[in-house]
Amino acid sequence: MAGQSIERREILCMLALAAGAAGFPGFCRWSFACGHVGADITQIRPTAYRPLFFSAAEYATIERLADIIIPTDETPGASQAGVSEFIDLMVSRDAALQPGFRSGLGWLDAQSRKTFGNKFLSLTTAQQTSLLESLAYKKKFRAGEERGREFFSLVREYTVMGFYTSEIGLKELDYPGLKFYAGSPACPHKDDPEHLHLPGPKG
Amino acid sequence: MPPQIYDVIVIGTGAGGGMAIKTLCDAGLKVCALNSGRRLDPEKDFRNHRATWEMKFRGFGDPATRMKDTPGFLDSEYNQGAWEREIAFTTAPGTKWMWPRASAVGGKTNFWGRSSARFGDIDFKAATLDGCDVDWPVTYQEIAPYYTRVEKMIGVASTVQNRPSNPDGVYLPPFNFRCLDWILQKGCEKSGVPYLPDRLAQLTVAHEGHPACHYCGDCTFGCEVGAFFSTPWFFLPSAEGSGNLDLKTNAIARNILTDADGKAAGVAYVDRASRQEYEVRAHAVVVAASCIESARIMLNSKSRHWPTGIANSSGQLGRNLCDHLYATTASGYLPQLLGQPSFPDNVSANPIAWMPRWQNLKSAQEEQFIRGYSVYPDGGCAEFPGYYDRIEGFGSSFKHEIKRRYPTPVSFTVQAPTLPSEKNFVDVDPDGKDSFGIPMARIHFQWGDNELRMFQHAKQVSAEIFRKAGAVLEYSADEPEMPGYSLHETGTCRMGNDPKKFVTNRFGQTHDVDNLYVCDASVFLNCTDKTTTLSILAFSVRTSEYLLEQFRRGAH
Repeated sequence: MAGQSIERREILCMLALAAGAAGFPGFCRWSFACGHVGADITQIRPTAYRPLFFSAAEYATIERLADIIIPTDETPGASQAGVSEFIDLMVSRDAALQPGFRSGLGWLDAQSRKTFGNKFLSLTTAQQTSLLESLAYKKKFRAGEERGREFFSLVREYTVMGFYTSEIGLKELDYPGLKFYAGSPACPHKDDPEHLHLPGPKG
Repeated sequence: MPPQIYDVIVIGTGAGGGMAIKTLCDAGLKVCALNSGRRLDPEKDFRNHRATWEMKFRGFGDPATRMKDTPGFLDSEYNQGAWEREIAFTTAPGTKWMWPRASAVGGKTNFWGRSSARFGDIDFKAATLDGCDVDWPVTYQEIAPYYTRVEKMIGVASTVQNRPSNPDGVYLPPFNFRCLDWILQKGCEKSGVPYLPDRLAQLTVAHEGHPACHYCGDCTFGCEVGAFFSTPWFFLPSAEGSGNLDLKTNAIARNILTDADGKAAGVAYVDRASRQEYEVRAHAVVVAASCIESARIMLNSKSRHWPTGIANSSGQLGRNLCDHLYATTASGYLPQLLGQPSFPDNVSANPIAWMPRWQNLKSAQEEQFIRGYSVYPDGGCAEFPGYYDRIEGFGSSFKHEIKRRYPTPVSFTVQAPTLPSEKNFVDVDPDGKDSFGIPMARIHFQWGDNELRMFQHAKQVSAEIFRKAGAVLEYSADEPEMPGYSLHETGTCRMGNDPKKFVTNRFGQTHDVDNLYVCDASVFLNCTDKTTTLSILAFSVRTSEYLLEQFRRGAH
């Protein structure tokens, strides 16, 4: 996709424009001039991804876990952002991570069978959620599940890393960087320095 | 053909070396500069205009090859090959030391934090005030004109603040306060702590032919347009344009060569790729390889005249290694900003404000520690929501909470100076050589009580400021960051009038060898509560001009 990175020559050109525009009353200091606006964020994904590290079954579980951790709701989630591919790539390049992921996936399936009589991927959504809640929320922790909690925390970490470094993830946050600003960003609430009377969050 | 004899060899191209190179070349001297790493091409090597998803490993770098246990800015995918990976060092038993070295041309100026406060007489005369160690052999009045010249060269954004610990300089317009700054400033006001625009060498307006900052992203990955000071953007082009500079890259200085009288005659270096050793000759040598490396080179320069290292008749070479203790004293979020739209308040991923030293100002002994520390506030909409691990759970509620908290993170970092100590020094490992065949630096370092007390004090005050600013405190560090983390090491070749106690004189010229000069933070008596780069530049221009004067009167 064109226009994602700002080239030096474009920046220098913008700087020259800004120098001219700074005194112009219509110039919006918060607007940015690079090609990020309206960029099409459809993720192009190969139809059949071949994992570098995980087996097909392991990979499918990672994909499912990532999507439970950051689901698609009003905005796109982990699967649209290609998070499982990122996790596979990182784990494939990091020998120290591999045992934790592999044995953790084993633990999860064993626990699923023990609790619900089937491997994790074959459980209902409610069953999957219930298993993971006991790994994710302190008040639901169960004795003897330390390894499971460690694994869940690892998957969650890499899911967050993958999602919020994707174009979809940074769009979700409305990341304000990688743009061109004509002046150093200033607080727009000058009459409320303690910020006690801000308009409520939208939505 | 006889071998070329340069006027001066400068080892290092960072702040100290870069300033020496520029000053000497501009004045017409023939200079050979040695740099241990390669030359960077900002357009190719700096990727801070690149989005994370445009990089294979999303900016984290390849897990198979990246250096472990180092801060994220090191060896990241944004600037590969800029940081030292090959030159090994050792630590004495019980010492922990992190040593981030930027070996690329320009050194750490490519990636520095840009905070640029002047030292003052409160620093230079600290020993008189509190009886610890010795005063600097210079006064503020003497150094002030050099600070002014440096500020004009590099461009520093700030305001006149009239703070007793922080002399004011010549400034470009300051950074604007962001939402979080106004909120924190209120909290500081209620706690009796100053909260002011930092002195920031980042161009808020175009300056001396360099473009103004466009606030695109993380400056510590390197600037593609040169909108903050670094020697490759600011000094080296004019030096190269003068025709007087011969810059040798991937040239790892091994030792300083001496003549029959024990004077400096040149430098032996190892070529990084071929491992071949070469020699260059000159009438004078400037060492500016950064504090620990400068000491290593000099300690490795043994000869009949200098059995323990060149210019070390005092035995003080390598001694008095100082560093800033860095630690997160408070971290959490500002509930006032929960759910607010994202705002470009963290676009340079560095503080724009500071809490300059406010302790021990009325008298030297007000607190449980002597001297003082500064605090840097950080926060805002970062490129990565690093606070996610403070939010429990998963699913839509997790995702929404990450979004809701996006504008709110805030954290304080203390910058506390160590005091010079006999226990903290650099020597050469008697048993080990690095892969270039050069004896390794061995670091001996422990935090002292004074800086640890500052750390505890800073934690208490930070918690109070958080409370009074209405911030939620979620974390404060139990332990400081590893020594070396600040990249602000000083000492090892301290300056002073007594040749028995100091390595260099008050001009950075070694007492023992009059054609050997030191132009980095090695000459500093201690590290003060301020950052080092601006002062390295000011002392380096002064030393370089002193060297020039010696040349003009025929001494070298």
